[in-house]
Amino acid sequence: MNDKIAAYAHPDVLVSTDWLASHLDDPSLRIIESNEDVLLYDTGHVPGAVHIDWRRDLNDQTVRDYIGPEQFAHLCSAHGITPDTKVVFYGDKSNWWATYAFWVFQLFGHRNAAVVDGGRAKWVAENRTLTREIPKPSTAVYPQPAARNDAAIRAFYHETLAHMQAAKPMVDVRSPGEFRGEVTHMPEYPQEGVLRGGHIPGAQSCPWATAANPDGTFKSVDELRAIYQAGLGLNPTDDIIAYCRIGERSSHTWFVLTYLLGFSSVRNYDGSWTEWGNMVRSPIERSTT
Amino acid sequence: MAEHPQALRDIIDLCAGLAESERREMLISFADGAARQAPQPGESFDLEDTRKDEECTDTVGVFLRIDDARLCHFRITLGPQVQTLTRAMTTILCQGFNGSSPETVLEAPADFVPQIVGAELVRLRSQTVYYVLGRMKSAVKVWLNRERAASA
Repeated sequence: MNDKIAAYAHPDVLVSTDWLASHLDDPSLRIIESNEDVLLYDTGHVPGAVHIDWRRDLNDQTVRDYIGPEQFAHLCSAHGITPDTKVVFYGDKSNWWATYAFWVFQLFGHRNAAVVDGGRAKWVAENRTLTREIPKPSTAVYPQPAARNDAAIRAFYHETLAHMQAAKPMVDVRSPGEFRGEVTHMPEYPQEGVLRGGHIPGAQSCPWATAANPDGTFKSVDELRAIYQAGLGLNPTDDIIAYCRIGERSSHTWFVLTYLLGFSSVRNYDGSWTEWGNMVRSPIERSTT
Repeated sequence: MAEHPQALRDIIDLCAGLAESERREMLISFADGAARQAPQPGESFDLEDTRKDEECTDTVGVFLRIDDARLCHFRITLGPQVQTLTRAMTTILCQGFNGSSPETVLEAPADFVPQIVGAELVRLRSQTVYYVLGRMKSAVKVWLNRERAASA
């Protein structure tokens, strides 16, 4: 473990590319690539890595929700994952979808999990091996979890509304233009049907990328404390909700606050702006800064 | 209903009936050819539309030349972070629409996209697969407006 990772509150959930490279043949691991770019895995991936797509594999296909315990057990079993397997996530976009997948795995209590610092971009930048060979892990036995435990780390609309009314801390991790209400989607991304621009009243703007270095790695613990504690005034014991557009960028911030800084009560509002911005009678706020 | 240009029709036919794994291989092959769609030295254009997005995707530049026969010739530049599907669609659309009239490009129904990309990928990433087509149509629309204004 390098010094930077060792300094985080929960260093066991972050591994370096060096570490990953030296554990490619570790049978107790399952490496998982999760991307925004749906074909990126097919163009080449870390040897031994399987592909889990957020929309195909983690979302319910008919309800705006996540897969249930039975589907999760099936997904893990099919990828050779048991409850004892250490799952190591990496992906594109500075690990947006890797942290999202990590978050979904936590909904089912799979604690033995980690994210690769710097994700796919760092692995590629270091000219490490990529392969197009699709691994075929033997089917494993993953007992069906008793339940999906949303309460601790996931916020729903009514909870977020109550949170706002109680003036508790909320972090809007979208781009400044989205926060101000100038745009209703990420720049250059197609409109996805949000009727109104703005943010949840009382939320503070802190784009997810604030926590990332240009190479996609997470900033140091001191830098993160400066951003979230000194800058935003958040305290480690605060009850905090993070949100973005559909919950992927806020998964990144959720990961930072929960595991790198050790905050005890952070929830990801995955309904995010695509729900809040469209919800009848939900209040919004716009600002010029 | 507007007809698709023959070159595009050929690509649609090529993709018809492919298994999902074969379709992905073909799309990656098209994506690998995207760099060849960039402007070549000495080429000039009637319209250039390059937009940079630092937050998410990357720069995508659409370059349009209309020749004396009033046929479109597209060149497209893509930043390194542009997604594989977008890069694949860049090659497909440049090959498919080069030599078409502006009206053909503008009126082309987008229903060919799922036929090429496949229902599975459209379902997973519907927002990605139409992006370049939209940018190309926008460029053509601007050119047609200019043509209309010039002749008024």
